[in-house]
Formats: sequence, structure tokens, C-alpha cells
Amino acid sequence: MEPFGPKHSQKRSRGQLVGGVVLASSLFLAGCGGTAAGPGGAGPSSGDELPETVKVMVSVPLTGPAAFAGAEAEKGYELAAAEINESGFLGDGVTLEIDVRDTQASVQKAASDVTAAIADSEVTAVLGSLSSAEALAQSPIAEKQKMPIVYIQAGSPGVILGDYTYRFPTPMSSYYNILSEQIAKEGWTSIGMVYGAWVPTLKELGEVAIPEMAEELGIEVTSSVATQQTTQDFSAPIKQVLESDPDVVSILQIGPANATAMQQLRQAGFDGPVLGNSSAGANTLEPAGENGAGMIWPVDFAPGTDDPASIEFIEKYKTANNDEEPFPYAAEAYDATWFVAKAIEAAGSANRGAVKDAMVEMAGGTWTGALGSDLSFEENSLKVNGTVIEWDGTRENVLYSAN
Amino acid sequence: MQELVATASLGSVYLLFALGLSAAWGTIGILNFAHGAIFVSASYACYELLAIQQLPVQVLAVIAVAVGALLSVVMQVLVFDQIRKRAKSERAAETRILIGGIGAAMIPVAIASHRTKNLAFGLQGSGFQASVWEFGGVRITSIQVVTVLCALGAATTLGWYLKRTRAGLALRSLGVDDQVAALMGIDRRRYAWATMAFAGGLAGLAGVLLTLNLGAISAESGDALLVKAFACVVLGGVGSTTGVVVGCMTLAASETWVLTQTSGMWVEAVSFGIIFVVLLLRPQGIFGRQEVRRV
Repeated sequence: MEPFGPKHSQKRSRGQLVGGVVLASSLFLAGCGGTAAGPGGAGPSSGDELPETVKVMVSVPLTGPAAFAGAEAEKGYELAAAEINESGFLGDGVTLEIDVRDTQASVQKAASDVTAAIADSEVTAVLGSLSSAEALAQSPIAEKQKMPIVYIQAGSPGVILGDYTYRFPTPMSSYYNILSEQIAKEGWTSIGMVYGAWVPTLKELGEVAIPEMAEELGIEVTSSVATQQTTQDFSAPIKQVLESDPDVVSILQIGPANATAMQQLRQAGFDGPVLGNSSAGANTLEPAGENGAGMIWPVDFAPGTDDPASIEFIEKYKTANNDEEPFPYAAEAYDATWFVAKAIEAAGSANRGAVKDAMVEMAGGTWTGALGSDLSFEENSLKVNGTVIEWDGTRENVLYSAN
Repeated sequence: MQELVATASLGSVYLLFALGLSAAWGTIGILNFAHGAIFVSASYACYELLAIQQLPVQVLAVIAVAVGALLSVVMQVLVFDQIRKRAKSERAAETRILIGGIGAAMIPVAIASHRTKNLAFGLQGSGFQASVWEFGGVRITSIQVVTVLCALGAATTLGWYLKRTRAGLALRSLGVDDQVAALMGIDRRRYAWATMAFAGGLAGLAGVLLTLNLGAISAESGDALLVKAFACVVLGGVGSTTGVVVGCMTLAASETWVLTQTSGMWVEAVSFGIIFVVLLLRPQGIFGRQEVRRV
């Protein structure tokens, strides 16, 4: 029988080749731009007045592994756009139009979305992907072609490149040390880690942020095991970590892997505390049942917050979404959309360069929105204080918030 | 010793998944790239059923086998049979079957993905809680024991069926030359449906056992397993049941070894590197037969 394997490989190679060509084309187009703006020039009107419709493209994953986050973010974008239009924030008869595109969890598609936005002279700004890998493909194109782009999540280094790129909020690694308070309070002296090295944000946490936090606190990292995207059974890395006898274990995984790792950690006999990451939120630990109890992680936003601006957003969100509580993605998207709208309003123009100038000025001041009050920017990323969440086996509870 | 338990457990999950893939590929020549979607769909169907009615895991396993078998036969009838019927040559059919499987897989995965919002789902609604036993410091769960027994039972049964029964001989003859087999009176379509039902049933069983073992899976969990199962089948030798067992256990052992002895960063590189080296030395796989072409 003719073996099928090589043919399959050829198909995949061809697919990768096509993908590579698309990406290369996008980057080539970006490179060809030189110092001038892209095919769309400076974007919409360069005059003093806003057009009747100001168009903003949203490019987020609505299918694939991050679909849940993308769908939640979409609710935030739409809520903000509805408010902006209902309140006439941009002026009488001026409408903010949100054009939502699905990146389909594809870096190439994310890059081509931004290229399409640049080519469309009606698009003023882009609300970029929440995936680091996709954002890393979008940023060089946007920065080079002078297209203002505002991300949510996307915590990888290299996403923020200059005055055209912004992020809500700073990467998780920047506020992860809020857990120091709990570690010091409980007197934990050693930590073992099982982290997903294939996710840039988790790699940064596992290899930089947590070791630095441990050093500051004087606690020992007893063992650190990286896992890959295809790792589904965590019993082997957990065994290695538990052999080093840590006081606390850090499980840094994405989606269902959080529930699996928690279940296998408990089955391996560890009943101590566990440090997680924000992707354990959104009831991801529910399938683990009681085994999931005891994981704590920091988030940039939690419905249990006492910040008045955040509470105001939560009420609006619940009203618009059948009393559902918002997840951080929605709060981030809401603020990112308002950031773009305020920049357009301050610029008094839909011209990309003018909007960028307004964004630069706004990033020099403070920000009040769904993510909190009087927050500042750090290298074009909104700096948040963080809140620590604990999963009790059935629901998330706010443990404490940073001052 | 704990490493052995981890290897046996992981290898058994790979085996349950890969056996069906290997059986269909090695006999009726269908490399079903929708196998991962069937695996996920069976588990997802149980998850949806549990939202309506609490059911014991034994019943869920039977339902998963039935759903897997049904989906697999439906794919055979609606996709693979149609492709073979329209293809001008066997070679053209093979490529189209591959693409057809990938395309067909997207439909059930998209449904599960949409319904679960791509979040993790589990079978905790069954009320099942795995027991954990400890023997001399080695911990093993009840679901690991069941998974190993099911995998070994399925492999033994398949091996016996293919080697010791007339129907198995007929099936193997299809894998050698289906046109000659047809001339000998073997009904290819009937055997193809039965083989696909068996393969799908095993994928369904693997879906439930893996979901119980891991606690949760997502709509796209089948993709990673498909790549690994494909590698195991190629490593062991297409068409060889013993080869699949050895391939799965080799991959599981190498992964476990890397994950327990190193920082884990090289797990894929080492595991697939071993497979690559073996295939360089023995292109037909460890237990595969050298292909003979008579002119």
C-alpha cells in the first residue's frame, strides 16, 4: 500500500508555505511603506471635522483556542461603541463604526487584517488581537504604516513598538508580584513550577517574573518544568516538581490544562496552595471540582472590585448582557475602545496621525475606566494594580486587591 | 516506578486512540484525519447528555462508543465512500480522503467549540470521582487502571481478530490489494463500514476515558492526540497491531522520561527525534512489512 505519511507532510508543508508567503507579503508591504503612510495614506479626512462615520477595525480571535476571550472582548467593544454613539460623544451625527474581524487564531490572518485596515482609507484605528503571537505580527505592520493600534492582553515583549501601539493593560508579569503579599503572609519558603513554555506570557512568568519575585522574597525555586502545547497529561512534570518538596506549586497553563493539572496535582498527593494565572478564570477550573480549590491568581479586573469606575462599568455590562458578570477581557476591550474614541475626540479628526498624537498625550496622563480609577501608563501600556482571586471549588472569590 | 505508571497510563490513552486509526489505515486504506474530531464529539455528546440527565460512567462509556461508531460510519458513507467512488485512481483517492477527513473534522469540532465557547468541559456531572491507591509510595488512580486494561484488551482483541479469524484474514487482504480481494468475493464496503465502526467506537471510548483521566478537555483536544497517534502508527509500522502498541508505549516512555528528568523544554524534540531516527533506520516502522511491488 502506498504510504500516506509523506503526502500528508507535503500537504502541510504546502499549507505552511502558503501561510508563510501570505505573512511575508504582509511584512513586505509593511516594509515597502518606508516613512510614508500605507496605501490608505493618512487614513480618513485630514481636515478639522470628523466624518459622519468613523471606522475602527477590531481584529481578535473569535474561533480557535482563544475564542472565549475574543467573544467576551467583543461584548466590551460593542458596549463601549453603543455608549459612545448613544451619548453623541464624537459630536452630533458622528457615529463610531466597529468592524469586527475574526483572526481565526491565525497569525497570518491577524497580520492581513491590519494590512487590510491600512489599505482602507476609512479606517482610523485598529483594536488589535489579544493573542501575543498575533499581536507580534500586527505591531510591526501598524507601527511602520502609521496605523494606531490598541491591544488588550497580548502580554509578550515586542508588542509595544512605538507611539502607534498601545495596550490595556500591562502584561500579567508586571502585576504578578501582588501575590508576594500572600506568600509572605503564609510564610511559604519554596516554590515549584509547571509552566506552559509555548505561551509567551506564561514563559515570561515562569522564567522571569516568578523567579524574580522568589528572589525578592528570599524563597527557593525548587523545580521548574516546561510543558508544550501538545502536553495533555501532567502527571510526569508534576511528579518531578513534587519530588523537590515545595511549599507552594505554580501551575501556569492555558484553558483545560489548568483543570487537568490541578486534578493530577491533587491526585499526586499535594494538598497545598497553588499559584495560577488569569487564564484559569472564566470557570475553567469547574471541571476539576474540589480538586481545583486552593488555586489563587492575579487579575487586572474582577467583578468583586470596590473601585467606583469599575463598579459603574459592571452595572452597565450586566444591564446589557442579561445580568451576566463581565470577565477581564470585556473590561479591557471596553477601555481600549474608549481610549480610541477619546483620542479621536481630542484630535477632532479621524486622521491617523492626529489620533496618534492625541494618544501620545493621553498616555502621559491618568486613565479612569473599567479597569480602575486614576491609573497611569507605562511604556504605552495601562498600568494596573491587580486583584488576587481564589477558586474555592465552585466559584471565584476576591482575596484582596493591591492598594 | 511512578514513571512506569505514568508511561503505562499515557501510552494506553495514545493506544486507545491510535488503534482505530491504525486499523482503518492498515486494512481498508483510510487514513482518517477526522479521528480526533470523533474522539472529541463522543466526549462532548456525553457532556451534553449529563446536562440533561445524570448517568453513571459505565453508561457514558457505552454511549461514547455508540456515538463514535455512528459518526465514523457516517463519515465513511458520506465522505470516504463518495470520494473513492469518484476518484479515477487509488492514488488520487488517498489524497482526497486525507483532505476530506480534515474537512469533515471541522464540522463537529466547530459545533462543540461553538456550544462550549471553546472552554474546557468535563464529565463531572456523572458524579464520578477517581479513587487514588498508593502502593509503596507509587500512586495510581482507578481511571488509570481502567484505561490501561481497556487499551490492552482492545489491542489484544484486534490482534487476535486480524490474525486468527477468517474475517480478520479477509480484512488484511483488503490492506494488501483490495481489487484482488474483491475478486476473491470479499465485500469491501461491508468490511469498511465495520472497520470504521470499530475505529470510531474506540475513539469514543478513548474520549470518555481521557476526559475522566484529565478532568477536562476542549473542542480542539483531538488535534494534539491525532498528531501523536499518527506518529505512533508510523513508528510501529502501518498495519501492525503489535507495532501500534510498541509505538505508543515508546512515545509515552520518551515523553515521560524527558518530562521527569529534564526541564521539559525538549520533550517534543526528543520524542519525535527518536521517531525520526528509528524511521531513518527502518522506514517501514519497527514492525512494518517491507513494501513489495511486482511489476
